[in-house]
Amino acid sequence: MHELKLGDELGRKGHQVILGGESVAMHCHHYNINLQKMLEDHLGTEGVRLMMEAAEMANYSGFRAILRQYPRVKTLKSKLEMAAVMFQNCGLGILHFKSIRPSGGVIVSPSNHHVTGWLAKHGRRETAGCHFVRGWIAGALEAIYRQPLGHYAIEETRCKMKRDQECVFEVKAR
Amino acid sequence: MAIDGTKITHAVMEGSRIRESKGIIPLFGVYLSLFSTQYYNQLSFDFEKRMGPRRQDEAKNLLISAAHECGYATFEGIRNSYEWEQVVVPMIESREDEIRGFAAVAVAFGWGDLEIVEIIPGETLRIRVNDSYEARGYLEKYGRAKSEKCYMLRGVAAAFMDLSYAGDYPDGYSTFAAEEPMCRAKGDLYCEFLATKSHHPRQDD
Repeated sequence: MHELKLGDELGRKGHQVILGGESVAMHCHHYNINLQKMLEDHLGTEGVRLMMEAAEMANYSGFRAILRQYPRVKTLKSKLEMAAVMFQNCGLGILHFKSIRPSGGVIVSPSNHHVTGWLAKHGRRETAGCHFVRGWIAGALEAIYRQPLGHYAIEETRCKMKRDQECVFEVKAR
Repeated sequence: MAIDGTKITHAVMEGSRIRESKGIIPLFGVYLSLFSTQYYNQLSFDFEKRMGPRRQDEAKNLLISAAHECGYATFEGIRNSYEWEQVVVPMIESREDEIRGFAAVAVAFGWGDLEIVEIIPGETLRIRVNDSYEARGYLEKYGRAKSEKCYMLRGVAAAFMDLSYAGDYPDGYSTFAAEEPMCRAKGDLYCEFLATKSHHPRQDD
């Protein structure tokens, strides 16, 4: 697997935290989950869409910047590996790009920040809730396969927030 | 001894490289994530927009509350953490130093260049920020705002006072509230946050 050295990528420009040349912030599960609950409670499905779109756009831009910094990472396989490393390095959890092609496939997450945070704050829920991860995956795949934003639809068919054993994301090209 | 922000930033940057087996960053008693400020700004400002003009005050208050509750729980976890004990406690000589320590952690997290301008114990906290990511993000995407836009830092400023002067956790929550009389997003030179005793304590008080 390609070794993405977060020590090289994560730095500071004065008071700003910079990752791959872009401004990032460290936030904890309290804030991330509060934002998710606020969006779901007050905007419903529109709030879910907003969360996904925001994660997709930000990661599309951020991951393309990372790929530009690693021109030697050329194969699709190594780019997918890099996405998994990036997800983990940002404290977002674990992603396995098990069977993924440009037309779609399946991604499995045995653990992630939003699941840990949601269960810690609110316990089990009845519906799948990894909206952030859906958006993050869409943005990463669109950057890797050089597709425009919105190209991939990501559904979460199993979710640990519902106490499924793992989160499973089905990817389809629109 | 003054609070050494550089030392705190160093501890956060080093700690943020630690991952446990689930890909989670457990640091300062909370689970941390690193993600683009563009994401947080889009969530906040698009939420406000999608709530519509008639619900704008409600949207603003929800965003401030989300950060206030987060700041209260997060910094309670932080001040009870091993890292705080090791790095920050040796620098603390007064209750006001605890707030200075909180602000230094917020700087380390990339929330902006927070500077404590004034603390009147138990009464007032004034924080100045020349470059909050919220004000910067708003200006870059939408241009000059008609009102203040740093909802996250506003909630967090109130949380700092709740934790330091409002009794035991969790009973002190929402004893303080913060205003943002100056904000770069609306053309001021810097953002300023003023936390004082709340006129609207939470309903279950």
